[in-house]
Amino acid sequence: MKVDPPKRDLPGPFFSKMAGFWRPLRNLGAAQARVDGPRSLLTAAEFQEELAILGLSGQRFEPEDYMDALGEYLDISIVVHVIPDSWYPELSRQLANSGRLGELRYSEQMNMAAIFVPGSLPPLVLTLTILHELGHLAAGDLLIEPDEDEQHAEGAKFATLPLKKGRRLARGYPFADESLREHEANLRASYALFAGCLGDDNPHAYEMYDVL
Amino acid sequence: MSAAQHQALVLGGASFVAFVFFLCFLLPSRRTEFSVFAACNLLFVALMFGAVAFVDLSGGRTEILVAVMTELPVVLIVAWVCLALAGGLPARLGTLPAEPVARRPGLRAILASAPLVLLLSVVLATIVGLVWPSPAMRVYAPAPPHFLVLKALIMVPEGLYSGVAALVFVMAGRAPGLKRRIYFKNLAFAVGMACISFIAAGSTVFAGLRVWLPGGDRRAILETLNTLEACLAITCILAFTVGLSLRYTPAIATTLLHRLQTGWLHAQEQFESLEWQAVSGGATDKLTHASDAVVEACRIKGLSESDTQKALATIRLVAVMKDPSGETQHITPEAARKLYELQEEILCDDVLASKISWAAGWRSRGREPQTVKSAPLHDALEAALDLVGYHGESGGARARPLWYCIVAVSAADAKMIDRSRVTMQLRDGAGHREALEAYGAARRSLRMLDALRRRMEGRQE
Repeated sequence: MKVDPPKRDLPGPFFSKMAGFWRPLRNLGAAQARVDGPRSLLTAAEFQEELAILGLSGQRFEPEDYMDALGEYLDISIVVHVIPDSWYPELSRQLANSGRLGELRYSEQMNMAAIFVPGSLPPLVLTLTILHELGHLAAGDLLIEPDEDEQHAEGAKFATLPLKKGRRLARGYPFADESLREHEANLRASYALFAGCLGDDNPHAYEMYDVL
Repeated sequence: MSAAQHQALVLGGASFVAFVFFLCFLLPSRRTEFSVFAACNLLFVALMFGAVAFVDLSGGRTEILVAVMTELPVVLIVAWVCLALAGGLPARLGTLPAEPVARRPGLRAILASAPLVLLLSVVLATIVGLVWPSPAMRVYAPAPPHFLVLKALIMVPEGLYSGVAALVFVMAGRAPGLKRRIYFKNLAFAVGMACISFIAAGSTVFAGLRVWLPGGDRRAILETLNTLEACLAITCILAFTVGLSLRYTPAIATTLLHRLQTGWLHAQEQFESLEWQAVSGGATDKLTHASDAVVEACRIKGLSESDTQKALATIRLVAVMKDPSGETQHITPEAARKLYELQEEILCDDVLASKISWAAGWRSRGREPQTVKSAPLHDALEAALDLVGYHGESGGARARPLWYCIVAVSAADAKMIDRSRVTMQLRDGAGHREALEAYGAARRSLRMLDALRRRMEGRQE
């Protein structure tokens, strides 16, 4: 995933201070109270809560529906480009050689995200790759502010990083460790695939209607 | 026995019967944290009302303390329900909010504030009552204005929170496509919480009447209100009992789902992506030629797209298993066998196998989605394991589909597998002969195409 940050020409200190006040209000709609410190990996139940916010809990849905709902919630435009191998044969080769299956580009300036995946991917892998990249958007992984300080995991909880402006769906801040961010995006993809397939047969969806 | 003692006896009796029902029928079969908590509250309420009915607790501050204690279990129930709906209970008790609450952060914040606000109001009411004592337990006696303050401090927030909770249960029950049992469960809890809300409103009105209504009319109106309150309390207990008795077990267990996510899905994705990386990242010429020939042979024989895909997946698998590179070292016959067994496990469960599917491509709603059974990988795994000699029953008496024979011939020609093994497996049957013919024709046409391409390139130069 790649981020194109916008060029800021506004009086910096004043606006950054205002953004500090605005941040908690902006994130009010996200899944439960924010978890700013170390946290554990996303569970299927927590993911169900995210789906409920998107209005998809207990429903059968396709990755397209998840993408549309996420784009609407984050107020960004998300586009998926499935590139046929005949157009850019080198894309598949380069991605395959780099050990990646897809690419996510995010532009704050244009308020849009684009996912590029080769058309030759097997259908299941294609679906999971797109959901994986959408998972990065949901987690707010593209909004992290790199931190120079070394951070340590506490028990089963892992260090997270603060965010710059922008909305995210997830309850907790993104992990500081990239491999953990990737792992959580994989988890989101698998949870989304099963939730979309099972609809109201998903046991986690039923838990949200039977809280006592 | 006074009217107040009579009412306490009725409410205490109803609470005790409900407690016995919980203890004998509900808790052994459906023990949730909330049902245990509710049972404890019922016992406490029964004891408190029993004490009021049989022991004279009137007079001064004792009366205030008893009045507050009888309200406390209801306050605790309302606080628990609101917190559960907001998803604010400790992790051990389940942290998922109700679906309508998850989408409304404002509603969530209101519900989450219930325990704090309710307990604060109880403390404040106790302080008011202790500073200015009033005849809280003598139900028909005239009362001073601070009695209304005491009552309102507890009842107004209790009524509001239970009203909001009732509304949330109604919203949850109205969700489209909800199972009937869950619908009735939410309906029962909505009725229960609405009853608490009405009781709270009734109690506040009751206190106001005791303060302001003159003696003659007061008694008759208060008696009617008291009867109504008792009826609402019994309805509330019944509604909660029904709600807690209704049980719905999802068709797919959470543990099974977790096993599929961490087992099958992870294995299949890793398998397919590594294979794709190996093929796309510049697989061996041997595989490229073999797969081209397989596709061409399938086309010559007029095989379906599905069979062609199976043949292609099989030849790739055989190539990767027989010639593993750095990335594909995990695609071993053992791993393939394990994945095949996981797939078979899913296929044994008809409900699960029919539900787990994925799109055949991006924005392809018109096309039939793939399932574990219909995806080429399932048959390809079986065929590839057979060809590399890793399948349990490879003694080749079985009838093989034509696509399998084409792959076998192609793999043998590319020296991926032993030719004699193919001959033994297929036993020179009609399928084998057909595959040999098709493969030969495919090779010839590919050679011609190759020659043509080279000639064209030569002319351009």
